[in-house]
Amino acid sequence: MRIPTVFTPELQKQYHVTGRMVAMAGGLLFAVSAYLPWAYTGAALDNMSYLGGPSTLQFLGLTLGLIVAWCAAMGWIEPWADRRGFARPLIRVSKRVGWTRGSKAMGIGLLAYIVLILVVIAIELRGLVAVEWGGWVALVAALMAFVGTRLLIAGRAPSLERVRSAAWVEIVAIALILLLALLLVAYALNQNDGGIFLSIIAFAGALSAFVLRSGIGAWISEAGQKHRTVLVFSSFLVAFLFPFTQNGSDANMSIATQVLVFAATAVGLNIVVGLAGLLDLGYIAFLGAGAFTAATLSESAFATINWKPPFIVVMLIAGLISASLGLLIGSPTLRVSGDYLAIVTLAFGEIFRITMNNLDGQSGPNLTHGSSGIPAIPNLELFGFDFGKPHVVFGITLGRFSNYFFLMLLIMAVIVLVFTRLNHSRIGRGWVAIREDEKAAEAMGVNVFGLKLLAFAGGAFLAGFAGAVKAHVDVSVIPDQYVFLESAFLLAAVVLGGMGTVIGVILGATLLKLLPEKLRFVSEYRMLLFGLLMVVMMRFRPEGMIPNQRRALEFHSDDEELVQEIEEDLPYEFAEEKS
Amino acid sequence: MAFFIDQLLNGLSLGALYALIAVGYTVVYGIVQLINFAHGEIFMIGAFGALSTWIVLGWATGGSTAWWNMPLMLVGGMLVAVLTAVVMERFAYRPLRNAPRLAPLITAIGISIFLQEFIRLFYGEIPGFPDAKAAIPFPQIEFFTGDAVDVGGQLINRGTFFIIAALVVCWAFLWWFVNKTATGRAMQAVSQDPDTSRLMGIDVDRIIVIAFAVGAALAAIAGVAHGVRFGNIDFKMGFLAGLKAFTAAVLGGIGNINGAVVGGLTLGLVESMAASYIPGQFGGAAWKDVWAFVLLILILVFRPQGLLGAKVVDRA
Repeated sequence: MRIPTVFTPELQKQYHVTGRMVAMAGGLLFAVSAYLPWAYTGAALDNMSYLGGPSTLQFLGLTLGLIVAWCAAMGWIEPWADRRGFARPLIRVSKRVGWTRGSKAMGIGLLAYIVLILVVIAIELRGLVAVEWGGWVALVAALMAFVGTRLLIAGRAPSLERVRSAAWVEIVAIALILLLALLLVAYALNQNDGGIFLSIIAFAGALSAFVLRSGIGAWISEAGQKHRTVLVFSSFLVAFLFPFTQNGSDANMSIATQVLVFAATAVGLNIVVGLAGLLDLGYIAFLGAGAFTAATLSESAFATINWKPPFIVVMLIAGLISASLGLLIGSPTLRVSGDYLAIVTLAFGEIFRITMNNLDGQSGPNLTHGSSGIPAIPNLELFGFDFGKPHVVFGITLGRFSNYFFLMLLIMAVIVLVFTRLNHSRIGRGWVAIREDEKAAEAMGVNVFGLKLLAFAGGAFLAGFAGAVKAHVDVSVIPDQYVFLESAFLLAAVVLGGMGTVIGVILGATLLKLLPEKLRFVSEYRMLLFGLLMVVMMRFRPEGMIPNQRRALEFHSDDEELVQEIEEDLPYEFAEEKS
Repeated sequence: MAFFIDQLLNGLSLGALYALIAVGYTVVYGIVQLINFAHGEIFMIGAFGALSTWIVLGWATGGSTAWWNMPLMLVGGMLVAVLTAVVMERFAYRPLRNAPRLAPLITAIGISIFLQEFIRLFYGEIPGFPDAKAAIPFPQIEFFTGDAVDVGGQLINRGTFFIIAALVVCWAFLWWFVNKTATGRAMQAVSQDPDTSRLMGIDVDRIIVIAFAVGAALAAIAGVAHGVRFGNIDFKMGFLAGLKAFTAAVLGGIGNINGAVVGGLTLGLVESMAASYIPGQFGGAAWKDVWAFVLLILILVFRPQGLLGAKVVDRA
């Protein structure tokens, strides 16, 4: 299945000048069209029916259009700017930016953005008639930008990451990007209209495609590598600030807390799948084991064990129980084969669910009240801090879910810390070695069985940890919350986001959890879409949205261009030493 | 004694069902070393294909339940299942043939979820077809369903006969196909050494497609048998049945067709006996799935090559 190339190199060679003009004109025209009415009435999306007053979405479109025009223009002055010799440092930087590649990505992004908006208008207002002339102008402009950028010659790969910049520039850049992300997320979450939400996602997608293709992404990630602590701390700071953007509303915080629980579990799963390469299809059972442990040891009137240790102890017990279940399942199966492990974990997930359903006092001892589960789990109280009560900080009310959000953030930090420290340790390298070639790893003296078991039990421990909190967040624990589809959903988050990276998985988990919440039609078709997505991802981009580079190499070992690109990137320290 | 024979027949019919599905896992695994996790869904699709055939026939015959519906339903189910499996192989698995082993497994899970949801959401949308969000009663076909048959004082469900007969016929057909036809021998060759087979002039891609198709056809028969035996079908039925059938394939020794049959029958018997004879709270139907999976884990610990498998499975 090869997509035929319409814009062949010959065509590009002949028409690239025209292409550049058309792209610039398209980008500018799109920016202008933001001031025109796109929709017949104001009922669709945010009000797009005014002449001269762009709505927020139109304004976002304007930015995209300007970026296309700017990129196309920058590509143009690329060759001659260098001879003039004015503003040399800026030009030296500019030469390393992949303006043309970025503009190509943006051309696609712009077209996708306007098509999506027009489709939403047509759906919400019943028919394309509702699209005003400004919308058609925007579509034509986007088409011009698309065709124009396609005709450009991509040229050299961007190498912006080689530019050395002052530390403060990098730190400010990181801070700005995070702040922008916070604002965008806070704005998107406050939209209850699915169409607007989707459009913002499309905007963010187009923007990040541009950033990645133009090499700015590489520079940012390089800066992030250099100032890792700054990046990590400021990310958490931004996440910490998020509840303060919600004006005391708990609705979004409830979603955000669920997202965090889900993401924390997914990062835990990523240790097992992404780092060690063991496919665990029953991971949700470990989360469930933690949740059930916490529920039975809680103050709930339905708790079946009459021992109420403090929550810290409960969390440890929950983690340990999950880990020992992991050992129980892992030790026999890790010896045989990766495929078998997948199926056995799947079977284990089923055993867990059936067992929890059966421990109702009739088919077994009463531990879980069977399918009705354990309801009425009280709110946590840690060090005199009641998680159920709203607290007022700086005049902003932080409700129940905000409290749990902060707790989950803390747990997330622990899990991310464990993940990254393990990844960069001897253990993590052992895992990667096992994942890539088990026999070779064993021959090199890696303790294959021990490390696999550690990954498995460690992942289970973290899931148990998260499960203990989940029990209190959800108030009740029911066996049917922990079914195979949830495991598959977690796996989808890992696969989609990028196996072996933290940020990718957090992004994947957030998208998978948010989209059904904000989009009605997605919640009906979500499993269908995610099943399809998993197949398509494995076919075309098995390494995920934000891949681990080593991982990407494994999946595309026959793609020589990529191998070379990554090999150039990887030994950064060597490159510096040589020069 | 009558109770024991009841349970024995129960176990055998359940086991025959597992065996029919397990053959699909085993044949595909033997040739491409791929656990086609979506195979359980092919079983489900086969059952729905048969049901659809009956509904479409009903438009002409006014919903006749005469015996001759059954062969047509079987053919219809097999066609749909084989088509699904071949399309799946062509577009999802073939591009991943040299990918890391995790990739096809994740694809398989994706396909499995996709097919389940596809049936759940869209089957009822076709005009004249029942909504598939809940279980659908399977058509009662004259002679194949109805009152239990009295054999020497023992009442035996007609579905039991149907399943066991289906297994015997399919097993005989498979034996003939694999050992006596050129295609079957080519399959054996590919499973032993695909590269050498290719050099010997065997079209390996074609053999792989045939393996998928054979497995799908048997799964479709199992799907119809499931409908006849249990009276209804639903979009979820492939998940647990597929998992059990995989257990059966491992139990018998994956890659070995006779092993799949023996494993399936053993698993069915273990399940039905465990449900009836394990005393106390952990007996009974509520725990039978648990015992089946415990068996899977025990087999992997003590005899990973399975009951009949000779080769130690060693794949990372």
